[in-house]
Amino acid sequence: MFIHIFTYRLKCLLRDYEGIFWTMLFPLILATLFNMGFSNLNSAEMFNPINIAVVNNESYRQNQSFKQTLEKVFTGDDRLFNLSVVSREEADEMLKDNHIDGYIIAEQPIKLVVSRSGIKQNIIKSFIDNYMHTFSAISNILEKDPGKLQSLINDIESKVKYSKEVSVTNAEPDNVLIYFYTLIAMACFYGGFLGMGEVSDVQANIKPVAARINTAPVHKLKTFFYSSAASIIIHLTEMLILLAYLVFALKIDFGTKTSYVLLTTFIGSIAGFSFGAFISAIVKKYEGFKVAVIVSVTMLCCFLAGMMYQDMKYIVATKVPILSYLNPVNLLTDAFYALYYYDTLTRFFTNIVILTGFIIVFCSGTYLIIRRQKYASL
Amino acid sequence: MVVKVKDLVKRYRDILALDHLSFSINEGEVFGLLGPNGSGKTTAINCILSLLKYDRGEIWIFGQPMRPDAYDIKRNIGIVMQNIAVYNELTAYQNIDYFCGLYVKDKNQRKKLVNEAIEFVGLGEFTKFYPRKLSGGLLRRLNIACGIAHKPKLIILDEPTVAVDPQSRNKILEGILELNKQGATIIYTSHYMDEVEQICSRILIIDKGREIATGTKDELKAMISLGEKITVESYSITEKQISAIKKLPGITSVDYKNNALIIKSGKGTNNLETVLDFIRKENIHFGRIYSEMPTLNDVFLEITGKELRD
Ligand SMILES: Nc1ncnc2c1ncn2[C@@H]1O[C@H](COP(=O)(O)OP(=O)(O)OP(=O)(O)O)[C@@H](O)[C@H]1O
Ligand SMILES: [Mg+2]
Repeated sequence: MFIHIFTYRLKCLLRDYEGIFWTMLFPLILATLFNMGFSNLNSAEMFNPINIAVVNNESYRQNQSFKQTLEKVFTGDDRLFNLSVVSREEADEMLKDNHIDGYIIAEQPIKLVVSRSGIKQNIIKSFIDNYMHTFSAISNILEKDPGKLQSLINDIESKVKYSKEVSVTNAEPDNVLIYFYTLIAMACFYGGFLGMGEVSDVQANIKPVAARINTAPVHKLKTFFYSSAASIIIHLTEMLILLAYLVFALKIDFGTKTSYVLLTTFIGSIAGFSFGAFISAIVKKYEGFKVAVIVSVTMLCCFLAGMMYQDMKYIVATKVPILSYLNPVNLLTDAFYALYYYDTLTRFFTNIVILTGFIIVFCSGTYLIIRRQKYASL
Repeated sequence: MVVKVKDLVKRYRDILALDHLSFSINEGEVFGLLGPNGSGKTTAINCILSLLKYDRGEIWIFGQPMRPDAYDIKRNIGIVMQNIAVYNELTAYQNIDYFCGLYVKDKNQRKKLVNEAIEFVGLGEFTKFYPRKLSGGLLRRLNIACGIAHKPKLIILDEPTVAVDPQSRNKILEGILELNKQGATIIYTSHYMDEVEQICSRILIIDKGREIATGTKDELKAMISLGEKITVESYSITEKQISAIKKLPGITSVDYKNNALIIKSGKGTNNLETVLDFIRKENIHFGRIYSEMPTLNDVFLEITGKELRD
């Protein structure tokens, strides 16, 4: 029975040209357009050191290690930051006048104050994150094995160099990466159309074909799972084609963690599929209406994740941080971003775990609604 | 007893769609469910199939209570819904094979069944066509083939002939009788009384979800007082003559409009003769004169006071 339903479903899906257009060709076209639009966007914006300030308070003066690390990165020609050591009031003033992109308060934990969001602010944050990460390692090891201190200091230096390199060499694509990451996330969520179709096709109150399915001697959830398997395979294939196009044709950089990128795509695809299934199950209207809901929710999420206006992602992250966690498209985008940008996986896994939570909610919601066997009205 | 429905009540919010409907269908019958649009035929079918929740009542099929998970019962039912239910992305052959495959696992047996179904509905030339390329009538035939390919013991057809030309319609009706001959019990719903008269061995007439009458077509016609309807086409009939006809023996009502005199009489054998005698005697000129036996429409009209066909 599995093979029967699965293969016929594959046939159906492969002949559904409209579906294939939206779930595969549309993202490919969009990616091509993005690429054309962005190819000359950043060439003017060569990398310059970022102006920052650090507040000259008691804890800064006492925090020798931080002081030294900062000094390392604000000397030399290829320095990352131009650093001024000022009072809190002066720092506020400079930030307001756009003389600096942000300032640091060396408290415990270290705070970063910025007035707006953008790639420079993100570099500063990434630097601080790196520092904090290493610092906690140092204090840990110092307690246990002071002999390793030298190797750790070397490590810090290499890290600082690393973040310099990441930012310098990739300064150009950085700005556009977010667009492509949200594009993948959007394509994942367009898989929602497939999820929607699977649910509609077993709901007798939506489609006449589903009434037939409901009267056949096969449990309708079985039919649903078997044919969903076909939908998911199709969508994963489409996503792999999109990824391959981005990587090999458009030369978009996904960093080095290929297997994690694939994992993220896989989870994204499932999330999109289950999202569509869930919407289809709770919206008790005709299909056109469901499509409208899926498209508008996806587009809103994409917008908030920075697809149309890149800084949106940072605005949301600073003004309404909870929204970045409740936006599955942003979680996906951010997962790709974290893979590319951070060498630790904490942020990546945070995104993936929350996304998995969403999948569980979508799937159980869908299950609870479609397992119902009789309808009040057809 | 193949189907037994007892005291079925179904409400859609404030619409009472089925009002304490009860009936039973015996093996080998072609059971007609006849009623005007909105009388509850589809609702009754969907309740029988356990697609719809109902407020009251009990349903047994093949002697067992019908439930959504009664797969042994479902295996032996074939349905042809009022709405076309096929996949647009599959060809005619693939559609039939897909649905048949939900009932029949064995591939060779299925192939045989699918080909028989194609033969049966006469879609032989169109097996590779996608539904969008099929005309309305051919699509209806595909819809039928999808429902019956697995050779079910009980076949439910909900208005399978709407939008089908008379020729195809006759073919479908013959086919249904053929299925019946091969041993299937049939439930056939329609608002076309002539179809129902033509093929059904027993008929249930419903209106507003309620049973109006049930029986064979002859039993139904025997239930009403109307025995014969005589139409006389003529321009020159006076009021006086009309009231005189009304007084003739056996005549129950006379109606004159659009140059046609419609005379209804009770049961009896020589009503036409009486009317003819009168016309000759009065020297009335007429074009045509003909007599009709009562139809199911007359049954419906007499019981409900309105036409079945609107
Ligand atoms: N989903 C629904 N919601 C509300 N009312 C409904 C619904 N389906 C049917 N009805 C109402 O229930 C009554 C019976 O409808 P049903 O479709 O069973 O009639 P029918 O005899 O099949 O008519 P037709 O000959 O037009 O197919 C009608 O009054 C109809 O308006
Ligand atoms: Mg109907």
